Amino acid sequence: MAIRKMYDTDIQQFEELTHQSIVDVFQSMVSMDLESESPEPFAADPDGQIIGSVGFTGEASGVICLYAGVNFAKSVTSRMLGIGIHEVDEDEMVNDAIGELSNMVAGSVKSRLCDRGWPCVLTIPSIVRGQRLSVERSADIIRKVIGFKVSDNETQHVMAELLLKQN
Amino acid sequence: MSVKILTVDDSKTIRLIVAKAFKPFDCTVLEAANGVVGLAVASREKPDVILLDYTMPVMDGFEVLARLRSDPDLKTTPVIMLTAEAGRETVVKIAKLGVRDYLIKPFKEELLIERVSRVVTLATKSDDASRAKRFDDPISLVVVDDKPAIVAQIKTGLESTPWTVTSFDQPGQALDYCMEKGADVVMVSLSMPKDGAYMLFQNLKSYANTSTIPVFGMSVKTATAEHTKAQQTGFAGVISKPIDGDELKAKICRALHLETSYKYFKPGNGWMTLVLPKEFGPSIAHEVSSRLNDQLTATVDAGGDKLIIDLGEVPSPTLPIIELVHTAVETCGKLSLRHAVLGSSGFRQECRSYEESQSWVFATNLDEALSLLKQN
Repeated sequence: MAIRKMYDTDIQQFEELTHQSIVDVFQSMVSMDLESESPEPFAADPDGQIIGSVGFTGEASGVICLYAGVNFAKSVTSRMLGIGIHEVDEDEMVNDAIGELSNMVAGSVKSRLCDRGWPCVLTIPSIVRGQRLSVERSADIIRKVIGFKVSDNETQHVMAELLLKQN
Repeated sequence: MSVKILTVDDSKTIRLIVAKAFKPFDCTVLEAANGVVGLAVASREKPDVILLDYTMPVMDGFEVLARLRSDPDLKTTPVIMLTAEAGRETVVKIAKLGVRDYLIKPFKEELLIERVSRVVTLATKSDDASRAKRFDDPISLVVVDDKPAIVAQIKTGLESTPWTVTSFDQPGQALDYCMEKGADVVMVSLSMPKDGAYMLFQNLKSYANTSTIPVFGMSVKTATAEHTKAQQTGFAGVISKPIDGDELKAKICRALHLETSYKYFKPGNGWMTLVLPKEFGPSIAHEVSSRLNDQLTATVDAGGDKLIIDLGEVPSPTLPIIELVHTAVETCGKLSLRHAVLGSSGFRQECRSYEESQSWVFATNLDEALSLLKQN
Protein backbone atom coordinates (compact mmCIF):
# COMPACT_ATOMS: atom_id res chain seq x y z
CA MET A 1 0.00 0.00 0.00
CA ALA A 2 1.68 3.20 -1.19
CA ILE A 3 1.59 6.38 0.85
CA ARG A 4 -0.76 8.91 -0.71
CA LYS A 5 0.10 12.56 -1.01
CA MET A 6 -1.34 14.62 1.82
CA TYR A 7 -2.59 18.15 1.36
CA ASP A 8 -2.81 20.78 4.06
CA THR A 9 -6.52 20.08 4.52
CA ASP A 10 -5.77 16.35 5.07
CA ILE A 11 -3.10 17.15 7.62
CA GLN A 12 -5.42 19.51 9.44
CA GLN A 13 -8.11 16.82 9.44
CA PHE A 14 -5.67 14.22 10.86
CA GLU A 15 -4.67 16.65 13.58
CA GLU A 16 -8.31 17.29 14.50
CA LEU A 17 -9.03 13.55 14.58
CA THR A 18 -6.10 12.97 16.91
CA HIS A 19 -7.19 15.83 19.16
CA GLN A 20 -10.77 14.53 19.39
CA SER A 21 -9.68 10.93 19.94
CA ILE A 22 -7.45 11.90 22.88
CA VAL A 23 -10.26 13.91 24.49
CA ASP A 24 -12.70 10.99 24.02
CA VAL A 25 -10.31 8.34 25.35
CA PHE A 26 -9.42 10.31 28.50
CA GLN A 27 -13.08 11.12 29.12
CA SER A 28 -14.26 7.50 28.76
CA MET A 29 -11.42 5.54 30.32
CA VAL A 30 -10.02 7.98 32.90
CA SER A 31 -13.10 10.14 33.58
CA MET A 32 -10.84 13.12 32.96
CA ASP A 33 -11.77 16.17 30.91
CA LEU A 34 -8.96 17.64 28.87
CA GLU A 35 -8.79 21.16 27.50
CA SER A 36 -6.55 22.42 24.72
CA GLU A 37 -3.58 24.54 25.60
CA SER A 38 -0.61 25.70 23.65
CA PRO A 39 1.96 22.91 23.73
CA GLU A 40 4.87 23.95 25.88
CA PRO A 41 7.82 21.96 27.14
CA PHE A 42 6.93 20.02 30.28
CA ALA A 43 8.01 21.31 33.63
CA ALA A 44 10.51 18.66 34.70
CA ASP A 45 8.81 15.83 36.56
CA PRO A 46 11.38 14.62 39.10
CA ASP A 47 10.43 11.04 38.31
CA GLY A 48 10.79 11.53 34.55
CA GLN A 49 8.60 11.29 31.51
CA ILE A 50 6.75 8.50 29.79
CA ILE A 51 5.86 8.30 26.11
CA GLY A 52 3.34 5.86 24.66
CA SER A 53 3.50 5.57 20.89
CA VAL A 54 1.63 3.64 18.23
CA GLY A 55 2.42 3.73 14.54
CA PHE A 56 0.10 3.37 11.58
CA THR A 57 1.09 2.42 8.09
CA GLY A 58 -0.76 2.29 4.77
CA GLU A 59 -1.98 5.06 2.51
CA ALA A 60 -1.48 7.25 5.56
CA SER A 61 1.61 6.47 7.62
CA GLY A 62 2.92 7.96 10.80
CA VAL A 63 3.14 7.74 14.58
CA ILE A 64 1.00 9.09 17.41
CA CYS A 65 2.89 9.73 20.64
CA LEU A 66 1.38 10.59 24.02
CA TYR A 67 3.70 12.37 26.46
CA ALA A 68 3.08 12.61 30.20
CA GLY A 69 5.06 13.10 33.38
CA VAL A 70 5.48 9.84 35.30
CA ASN A 71 3.55 11.12 38.32
CA PHE A 72 0.64 12.20 36.15
CA ALA A 73 0.77 8.82 34.37
CA LYS A 74 0.48 7.14 37.78
CA SER A 75 -2.55 9.24 38.59
CA VAL A 76 -4.12 8.30 35.23
CA THR A 77 -3.43 4.60 35.90
CA SER A 78 -4.99 4.84 39.34
CA ARG A 79 -8.15 6.41 37.92
CA MET A 80 -8.36 3.90 35.09
CA LEU A 81 -8.09 0.93 37.42
CA GLY A 82 -10.10 2.43 40.26
CA ILE A 83 -7.33 1.95 42.80
CA GLY A 84 -5.47 4.30 45.14
CA ILE A 85 -2.43 6.03 43.69
CA HIS A 86 -0.21 4.40 46.33
CA GLU A 87 -1.38 1.03 45.00
CA VAL A 88 0.13 1.87 41.60
CA ASP A 89 3.50 0.63 42.76
CA GLU A 90 4.78 -1.14 39.68
CA ASP A 91 6.21 0.63 36.61
CA GLU A 92 4.77 -2.09 34.42
CA MET A 93 1.24 -1.23 35.58
CA VAL A 94 1.73 2.35 34.39
CA ASN A 95 3.40 1.24 31.15
CA ASP A 96 0.51 -1.07 30.32
CA ALA A 97 -2.11 1.58 31.07
CA ILE A 98 -0.37 4.29 28.99
CA GLY A 99 0.24 1.74 26.21
CA GLU A 100 -3.47 0.87 26.23
CA LEU A 101 -4.52 4.52 26.13
CA SER A 102 -2.14 5.17 23.21
CA ASN A 103 -3.55 2.11 21.45
CA MET A 104 -7.12 3.36 21.92
CA VAL A 105 -6.23 6.81 20.60
CA ALA A 106 -4.46 5.35 17.57
CA GLY A 107 -7.25 2.79 17.02
CA SER A 108 -9.83 5.53 17.03
CA VAL A 109 -7.81 7.70 14.60
CA LYS A 110 -7.14 4.71 12.37
CA SER A 111 -10.84 3.77 12.17
CA ARG A 112 -11.79 7.27 11.14
CA LEU A 113 -8.94 7.44 8.62
CA CYS A 114 -10.07 4.16 7.06
CA ASP A 115 -13.65 5.43 6.85
CA ARG A 116 -12.39 8.54 5.06
CA GLY A 117 -10.46 6.59 2.47
CA TRP A 118 -7.03 6.31 4.09
CA PRO A 119 -6.64 2.58 4.77
CA CYS A 120 -3.87 1.72 7.21
CA VAL A 121 -2.90 -0.80 9.90
CA LEU A 122 -1.58 -0.21 13.42
CA THR A 123 1.63 -1.27 15.10
CA ILE A 124 1.68 -2.54 18.68
CA PRO A 125 2.14 0.17 21.33
CA SER A 126 5.58 0.91 22.69
CA ILE A 127 6.63 2.75 25.81
CA VAL A 128 9.71 4.85 26.45
CA ARG A 129 10.70 6.29 29.83
CA GLY A 130 13.36 8.83 30.60
CA GLN A 131 14.20 12.44 31.44
CA ARG A 132 13.64 15.35 29.04
CA LEU A 133 12.63 13.08 26.18
CA SER A 134 11.83 14.24 22.68
CA VAL A 135 11.24 12.42 19.41
CA GLU A 136 13.51 13.38 16.51
CA ARG A 137 12.09 13.42 13.00
CA SER A 138 13.61 13.34 9.57
CA ALA A 139 13.07 16.09 7.00
CA ASP A 140 10.16 14.43 5.18
CA ILE A 141 8.11 13.99 8.34
CA ILE A 142 5.37 16.47 9.20
CA ARG A 143 5.08 17.12 12.92
CA LYS A 144 2.02 18.43 14.73
CA VAL A 145 2.07 18.96 18.48
CA ILE A 146 -1.13 19.14 20.50
CA GLY A 147 -1.17 20.29 24.11
CA PHE A 148 -3.77 19.55 26.79
CA LYS A 149 -4.30 20.42 30.41
CA VAL A 150 -6.64 18.64 32.79
CA SER A 151 -9.77 20.76 33.29
CA ASP A 152 -9.92 20.50 37.06
CA ASN A 153 -6.17 20.46 37.67
CA GLU A 154 -4.17 22.90 35.61
CA THR A 155 -0.88 21.57 36.87
CA GLN A 156 -1.43 18.31 34.97
CA HIS A 157 -0.62 18.19 31.28
CA VAL A 158 -0.62 15.75 28.40
CA MET A 159 1.07 16.38 25.10
CA ALA A 160 0.50 14.52 21.86
CA GLU A 161 2.69 14.44 18.84
CA LEU A 162 1.38 13.43 15.43
CA LEU A 163 4.13 12.52 12.99
CA LEU A 164 3.06 12.01 9.38
CA LYS A 165 5.20 10.63 6.62
CA GLN A 166 4.91 12.74 3.49
CA ASN A 167 5.00 11.20 0.03
CA MET B 1 -25.31 -19.99 40.25
CA SER B 2 -22.35 -17.66 39.70
CA VAL B 3 -21.95 -16.40 36.11
CA LYS B 4 -18.62 -17.16 34.43
CA ILE B 5 -17.14 -14.36 32.31
CA LEU B 6 -13.95 -14.98 30.35
CA THR B 7 -11.90 -11.94 29.32
CA VAL B 8 -9.36 -12.61 26.59
CA ASP B 9 -7.12 -9.57 26.16
CA ASP B 10 -3.38 -9.07 25.91
CA SER B 11 -3.67 -5.87 27.95
CA LYS B 12 -3.46 -6.43 31.68
CA THR B 13 -5.08 -3.02 32.12
CA ILE B 14 -8.21 -4.11 30.25
CA ARG B 15 -8.36 -7.40 32.16
CA LEU B 16 -8.15 -5.46 35.44
CA ILE B 17 -10.87 -3.03 34.30
CA VAL B 18 -13.14 -5.96 33.38
CA ALA B 19 -12.50 -7.69 36.72
CA LYS B 20 -13.21 -4.43 38.58
CA ALA B 21 -16.42 -3.78 36.62
CA PHE B 22 -17.94 -7.11 37.63
CA LYS B 23 -16.72 -7.15 41.20
CA PRO B 24 -20.10 -6.09 42.66
CA PHE B 25 -21.82 -8.98 40.90
CA ASP B 26 -22.07 -12.64 41.71
CA CYS B 27 -19.77 -13.78 38.93
CA THR B 28 -16.35 -15.26 38.33
CA VAL B 29 -14.07 -13.43 35.92
CA LEU B 30 -11.58 -15.73 34.20
CA GLU B 31 -8.58 -14.23 32.42
CA ALA B 32 -6.51 -15.17 29.42
CA ALA B 33 -3.69 -13.03 28.01
CA ASN B 34 -3.90 -14.38 24.47
CA GLY B 35 -6.14 -16.33 22.13
CA VAL B 36 -4.49 -19.71 22.59
CA VAL B 37 -4.88 -19.61 26.37
CA GLY B 38 -8.37 -18.17 25.90
CA LEU B 39 -9.47 -21.18 23.84
CA ALA B 40 -8.03 -23.60 26.39
CA VAL B 41 -9.81 -21.84 29.27
CA ALA B 42 -13.08 -21.64 27.31
CA SER B 43 -12.90 -25.32 26.49
CA ARG B 44 -12.39 -26.32 30.10
CA GLU B 45 -14.57 -23.80 31.95
CA LYS B 46 -17.45 -23.32 29.48
CA PRO B 47 -17.93 -19.62 30.32
CA ASP B 48 -21.36 -18.00 30.03
CA VAL B 49 -19.96 -15.13 28.00
CA ILE B 50 -16.59 -14.31 26.45
CA LEU B 51 -15.19 -10.76 26.15
CA LEU B 52 -12.75 -11.06 23.29
CA ASP B 53 -10.17 -8.53 22.18
CA TYR B 54 -9.87 -8.05 18.44
CA THR B 55 -6.17 -7.20 18.13
CA MET B 56 -3.90 -9.60 20.00
CA PRO B 57 -0.53 -11.19 19.37
CA VAL B 58 -0.22 -14.98 19.00
CA MET B 59 -3.83 -15.44 17.80
CA ASP B 60 -6.15 -12.53 17.05
CA GLY B 61 -9.81 -12.22 18.00
CA PHE B 62 -11.05 -13.28 14.56
CA GLU B 63 -9.20 -16.56 14.65
CA VAL B 64 -10.30 -17.25 18.23
CA LEU B 65 -13.89 -16.57 17.22
CA ALA B 66 -13.66 -18.81 14.15
CA ARG B 67 -12.28 -21.64 16.30
CA LEU B 68 -14.97 -21.16 18.93
CA ARG B 69 -17.61 -21.36 16.22
CA SER B 70 -16.18 -24.62 14.91
CA ASP B 71 -16.14 -26.26 18.35
CA PRO B 72 -19.44 -28.09 19.01
CA ASP B 73 -19.19 -27.39 22.75
CA LEU B 74 -18.51 -23.68 22.39
CA LYS B 75 -20.19 -22.62 19.18
CA THR B 76 -23.18 -21.16 21.00
CA THR B 77 -21.18 -19.37 23.70
CA PRO B 78 -22.01 -15.65 23.41
CA VAL B 79 -19.00 -13.55 22.44
CA ILE B 80 -18.73 -9.78 22.86
CA MET B 81 -15.87 -8.40 20.82
CA LEU B 82 -13.82 -5.52 22.20
CA THR B 83 -12.02 -3.46 19.63
CA ALA B 84 -10.17 -0.18 19.44
CA GLU B 85 -10.77 -0.15 15.70
CA ALA B 86 -14.29 0.97 14.95
CA GLY B 87 -14.01 1.44 11.18
CA ARG B 88 -16.97 0.34 9.06
CA GLU B 89 -14.95 -2.46 7.47
CA THR B 90 -13.95 -3.91 10.87
CA VAL B 91 -17.47 -3.69 12.24
CA VAL B 92 -18.93 -5.46 9.20
CA LYS B 93 -16.27 -8.17 9.46
CA ILE B 94 -17.04 -8.68 13.16
CA ALA B 95 -20.79 -8.83 12.54
CA LYS B 96 -20.35 -11.46 9.82
CA LEU B 97 -18.48 -13.75 12.19
CA GLY B 98 -21.49 -13.95 14.47
CA VAL B 99 -20.58 -12.11 17.63
CA ARG B 100 -23.42 -11.33 19.99
CA ASP B 101 -22.31 -7.74 20.36
CA TYR B 102 -19.25 -5.55 20.13
CA LEU B 103 -17.83 -2.75 22.21
CA ILE B 104 -15.57 -0.02 20.92
CA LYS B 105 -12.60 0.97 23.07
CA PRO B 106 -12.62 3.42 24.80
CA PHE B 107 -15.68 2.33 26.72
CA LYS B 108 -17.27 3.27 30.01
CA GLU B 109 -17.59 0.59 32.69
CA GLU B 110 -21.38 1.03 32.80
CA LEU B 111 -21.61 0.30 29.09
CA LEU B 112 -19.61 -2.90 29.51
CA ILE B 113 -21.94 -4.06 32.30
CA GLU B 114 -24.99 -3.10 30.24
CA ARG B 115 -23.80 -5.11 27.21
CA VAL B 116 -23.00 -8.17 29.30
CA SER B 117 -26.36 -7.85 31.09
CA ARG B 118 -28.09 -8.26 27.75
CA VAL B 119 -26.51 -11.71 27.45
CA VAL B 120 -26.49 -13.05 31.01
CA THR B 121 -28.37 -12.19 34.18
CA LEU B 122 -26.09 -10.41 36.61
CA ALA B 123 -27.10 -10.55 40.27
CA THR B 124 -25.43 -8.32 42.83
CA LYS B 125 -23.48 -10.08 45.55
CA SER B 126 -25.18 -10.64 48.88
CA ASP B 127 -24.16 -8.32 51.73
CA ASP B 128 -22.33 -11.15 53.44
CA ALA B 129 -20.29 -12.02 50.35
CA SER B 130 -19.41 -8.41 49.66
CA ARG B 131 -18.41 -7.59 53.26
CA ALA B 132 -14.77 -6.60 53.23
CA LYS B 133 -12.52 -8.91 55.19
CA ARG B 134 -10.70 -7.39 58.09
CA PHE B 135 -7.01 -7.52 58.84
CA ASP B 136 -7.73 -9.71 61.87
CA ASP B 137 -9.87 -12.22 59.92
CA PRO B 138 -8.25 -15.59 59.19
CA ILE B 139 -6.45 -15.49 55.84
CA SER B 140 -5.00 -18.54 54.12
CA LEU B 141 -1.65 -18.06 52.39
CA VAL B 142 -0.01 -20.62 50.15
CA VAL B 143 3.75 -20.18 49.77
CA VAL B 144 5.74 -21.96 47.07
CA ASP B 145 9.49 -21.87 47.57
CA ASP B 146 12.13 -24.56 47.77
CA LYS B 147 14.14 -22.47 50.26
CA PRO B 148 12.94 -23.21 53.83
CA ALA B 149 14.60 -20.00 55.09
CA ILE B 150 12.24 -17.87 52.97
CA VAL B 151 9.20 -19.73 54.28
CA ALA B 152 10.51 -19.17 57.82
CA GLN B 153 10.92 -15.42 57.13
CA ILE B 154 7.31 -15.23 55.93
CA LYS B 155 6.00 -17.05 58.99
CA THR B 156 8.02 -14.76 61.28
CA GLY B 157 6.81 -11.66 59.42
CA LEU B 158 3.18 -12.69 59.84
CA GLU B 159 3.32 -14.06 63.36
CA SER B 160 1.40 -11.09 64.76
CA THR B 161 -1.56 -11.96 62.49
CA PRO B 162 -4.11 -14.79 62.64
CA TRP B 163 -3.15 -15.75 59.08
CA THR B 164 -2.11 -19.31 58.22
CA VAL B 165 0.81 -20.18 55.96
CA THR B 166 0.88 -23.48 54.06
CA SER B 167 4.11 -24.06 52.17
CA PHE B 168 5.12 -26.28 49.27
CA ASP B 169 8.40 -26.70 47.47
CA GLN B 170 6.78 -27.56 44.12
CA PRO B 171 4.22 -25.52 42.15
CA GLY B 172 2.20 -28.61 41.19
CA GLN B 173 1.55 -29.46 44.85
CA ALA B 174 0.41 -25.90 45.48
CA LEU B 175 -1.97 -26.02 42.52
CA ASP B 176 -3.54 -29.26 43.75
CA TYR B 177 -3.92 -27.78 47.22
CA CYS B 178 -5.53 -24.56 45.93
CA MET B 179 -7.91 -26.53 43.69
CA GLU B 180 -8.98 -28.70 46.60
CA LYS B 181 -8.95 -26.37 49.58
CA GLY B 182 -8.72 -22.87 48.09
CA ALA B 183 -6.50 -20.04 49.29
CA ASP B 184 -6.75 -16.30 49.80
CA VAL B 185 -3.27 -15.49 48.50
CA VAL B 186 -0.53 -17.42 46.71
CA MET B 187 3.14 -16.41 46.86
CA VAL B 188 5.60 -18.15 44.60
CA SER B 189 9.35 -17.78 44.13
CA LEU B 190 10.07 -16.48 40.62
CA SER B 191 13.30 -18.48 40.55
CA MET B 192 11.53 -21.86 40.64
CA PRO B 193 13.02 -24.14 37.93
CA LYS B 194 11.40 -24.54 34.50
CA ASP B 195 9.39 -21.31 34.80
CA GLY B 196 7.39 -23.03 37.52
CA ALA B 197 6.10 -19.73 38.95
CA TYR B 198 4.66 -18.61 35.60
CA MET B 199 3.12 -22.02 34.91
CA LEU B 200 1.48 -21.95 38.33
CA PHE B 201 0.18 -18.44 37.67
CA GLN B 202 -1.34 -19.41 34.31
CA ASN B 203 -2.92 -22.53 35.80
CA LEU B 204 -4.43 -20.69 38.76
CA LYS B 205 -5.85 -17.98 36.50
CA SER B 206 -7.41 -20.47 34.15
CA TYR B 207 -9.54 -22.43 36.66
CA ALA B 208 -12.81 -20.92 37.83
CA ASN B 209 -12.28 -21.77 41.50
CA THR B 210 -8.75 -20.33 41.65
CA SER B 211 -8.86 -17.53 39.07
CA THR B 212 -9.52 -14.75 41.57
CA ILE B 213 -6.69 -15.64 43.97
CA PRO B 214 -4.06 -12.87 43.92
CA VAL B 215 -0.67 -14.37 43.07
CA PHE B 216 2.52 -12.65 44.22
CA GLY B 217 5.98 -13.39 42.90
CA MET B 218 8.98 -13.41 45.24
CA SER B 219 12.38 -12.33 44.03
CA VAL B 220 15.55 -10.55 45.09
CA LYS B 221 15.42 -6.80 44.54
CA THR B 222 18.16 -6.77 41.93
CA ALA B 223 16.48 -9.32 39.62
CA THR B 224 14.79 -6.60 37.57
CA ALA B 225 14.16 -8.82 34.55
CA GLU B 226 12.22 -11.25 36.77
CA HIS B 227 10.21 -8.35 38.23
CA THR B 228 9.30 -7.06 34.78
CA LYS B 229 8.34 -10.49 33.47
CA ALA B 230 6.12 -11.12 36.51
CA GLN B 231 4.40 -7.76 36.15
CA GLN B 232 3.82 -8.32 32.44
CA THR B 233 2.38 -11.74 33.19
CA GLY B 234 -0.14 -10.20 35.54
CA PHE B 235 1.14 -11.10 39.02
CA ALA B 236 -0.51 -9.00 41.75
CA GLY B 237 2.97 -7.75 42.64
CA VAL B 238 6.48 -8.83 43.51
CA ILE B 239 7.63 -9.22 47.11
CA SER B 240 11.31 -8.65 47.66
CA LYS B 241 13.53 -11.23 49.30
CA PRO B 242 14.61 -11.12 52.10
CA ILE B 243 11.02 -10.80 53.23
CA ASP B 244 10.06 -7.64 55.10
CA GLY B 245 7.03 -8.49 57.26
CA ASP B 246 5.54 -4.97 57.08
CA GLU B 247 5.87 -4.78 53.28
CA LEU B 248 4.33 -8.25 52.97
CA LYS B 249 1.34 -7.41 55.19
CA ALA B 250 0.77 -4.10 53.39
CA LYS B 251 0.78 -5.76 49.95
CA ILE B 252 -1.58 -8.53 51.04
CA CYS B 253 -3.92 -5.98 52.64
CA ARG B 254 -4.07 -4.05 49.38
CA ALA B 255 -4.53 -7.14 47.20
CA LEU B 256 -7.37 -8.44 49.35
CA HIS B 257 -8.78 -4.98 50.16
CA LEU B 258 -8.61 -5.88 53.83
CA GLU B 259 -10.32 -3.47 56.16
CA THR B 260 -7.58 -2.06 58.40
CA SER B 261 -8.95 1.28 59.46
CA TYR B 262 -10.32 -0.12 62.74
CA LYS B 263 -6.69 -0.49 63.88
CA TYR B 264 -6.13 3.28 63.71
CA PHE B 265 -9.57 4.90 63.91
CA LYS B 266 -11.47 4.27 67.13
CA PRO B 267 -14.86 5.95 67.48
CA GLY B 268 -15.78 7.46 70.85
CA ASN B 269 -18.88 9.13 72.19
CA GLY B 270 -18.92 12.32 70.11
CA TRP B 271 -15.35 12.04 68.93
CA MET B 272 -13.00 9.92 66.82
CA THR B 273 -9.57 8.88 68.06
CA LEU B 274 -6.77 8.39 65.54
CA VAL B 275 -4.09 6.19 67.11
CA LEU B 276 -0.71 6.01 65.41
CA PRO B 277 1.21 2.86 66.39
CA LYS B 278 4.78 2.54 67.62
CA GLU B 279 5.90 0.84 64.36
CA PHE B 280 4.69 3.74 62.18
CA GLY B 281 6.07 3.48 58.61
CA PRO B 282 5.24 4.46 55.01
CA SER B 283 2.65 1.69 54.52
CA ILE B 284 0.74 2.75 57.67
CA ALA B 285 0.97 6.39 56.56
CA HIS B 286 -0.66 5.38 53.24
CA GLU B 287 -3.36 3.34 54.96
CA VAL B 288 -4.26 6.12 57.38
CA SER B 289 -4.14 8.98 54.89
CA SER B 290 -6.22 7.08 52.32
CA ARG B 291 -9.00 6.58 54.87
CA LEU B 292 -8.71 9.84 56.77
CA ASN B 293 -11.28 11.82 54.83
CA ASP B 294 -13.91 9.03 54.85
CA GLN B 295 -13.44 8.36 58.55
CA LEU B 296 -13.69 12.00 59.56
CA THR B 297 -16.68 12.58 57.28
CA ALA B 298 -18.38 9.56 58.91
CA THR B 299 -17.59 11.05 62.34
CA VAL B 300 -19.32 14.31 61.40
CA ASP B 301 -22.24 12.37 59.87
CA ALA B 302 -22.65 10.46 63.14
CA GLY B 303 -22.81 13.71 65.15
CA GLY B 304 -19.19 13.83 66.33
CA ASP B 305 -17.32 17.13 66.48
CA LYS B 306 -13.81 16.23 67.69
CA LEU B 307 -10.72 14.34 66.56
CA ILE B 308 -8.21 13.13 69.15
CA ILE B 309 -4.88 12.25 67.60
CA ASP B 310 -3.16 9.85 69.97
CA LEU B 311 0.63 9.86 69.48
CA GLY B 312 1.30 8.31 72.90
CA GLU B 313 2.87 5.17 71.45
CA VAL B 314 5.04 6.98 68.89
CA PRO B 315 8.63 7.28 70.16
CA SER B 316 9.43 10.58 68.40
CA PRO B 317 7.74 12.92 65.91
CA THR B 318 9.36 12.12 62.56
CA LEU B 319 8.61 14.20 59.46
CA PRO B 320 6.12 11.64 57.99
CA ILE B 321 4.20 11.72 61.29
CA ILE B 322 4.17 15.52 61.34
CA GLU B 323 2.94 15.55 57.72
CA LEU B 324 0.17 13.06 58.47
CA VAL B 325 -1.00 14.92 61.58
CA HIS B 326 -0.86 18.18 59.62
CA THR B 327 -3.13 16.64 56.93
CA ALA B 328 -5.49 15.37 59.64
CA VAL B 329 -5.66 18.82 61.28
CA GLU B 330 -6.29 20.47 57.90
CA THR B 331 -9.10 17.97 57.17
CA CYS B 332 -10.56 18.76 60.60
CA GLY B 333 -10.56 22.44 59.63
CA LYS B 334 -12.48 21.72 56.43
CA LEU B 335 -15.05 19.61 58.28
CA SER B 336 -15.35 22.01 61.26
CA LEU B 337 -14.04 19.35 63.65
CA ARG B 338 -11.98 20.40 66.65
CA HIS B 339 -8.79 18.48 67.33
CA ALA B 340 -6.32 17.67 70.07
CA VAL B 341 -2.99 15.85 69.89
CA LEU B 342 -2.06 13.52 72.75
CA GLY B 343 1.60 13.20 73.70
CA SER B 344 3.98 13.74 76.61
CA SER B 345 5.40 17.20 77.33
CA GLY B 346 8.78 16.09 75.92
CA PHE B 347 7.07 14.88 72.77
CA ARG B 348 5.23 18.20 72.52
CA GLN B 349 8.55 20.09 72.69
CA GLU B 350 9.93 17.99 69.86
CA CYS B 351 6.82 18.69 67.77
CA ARG B 352 7.15 22.41 68.33
CA SER B 353 10.34 22.45 66.25
CA TYR B 354 8.13 21.86 63.20
CA GLU B 355 6.26 24.89 61.89
CA GLU B 356 3.21 22.73 61.00
CA SER B 357 2.57 22.02 64.70
CA GLN B 358 2.17 25.66 65.79
CA SER B 359 -1.64 25.54 65.58
CA TRP B 360 -2.04 22.12 67.20
CA VAL B 361 -3.87 21.78 70.50
CA PHE B 362 -1.82 19.50 72.77
CA ALA B 363 -2.96 17.45 75.76
CA THR B 364 -1.33 14.71 77.82
CA ASN B 365 -4.38 12.45 78.07
CA LEU B 366 -7.93 12.02 76.78
CA ASP B 367 -9.65 13.70 79.74
CA GLU B 368 -7.47 16.78 79.39
CA ALA B 369 -8.08 16.83 75.64
CA LEU B 370 -11.87 16.64 76.01
CA SER B 371 -11.78 19.32 78.69
CA LEU B 372 -9.65 21.64 76.51
CA LEU B 373 -11.90 21.14 73.52
CA LYS B 374 -14.98 21.82 75.64
CA GLN B 375 -13.48 25.16 76.75
CA ASN B 376 -12.69 26.10 73.14
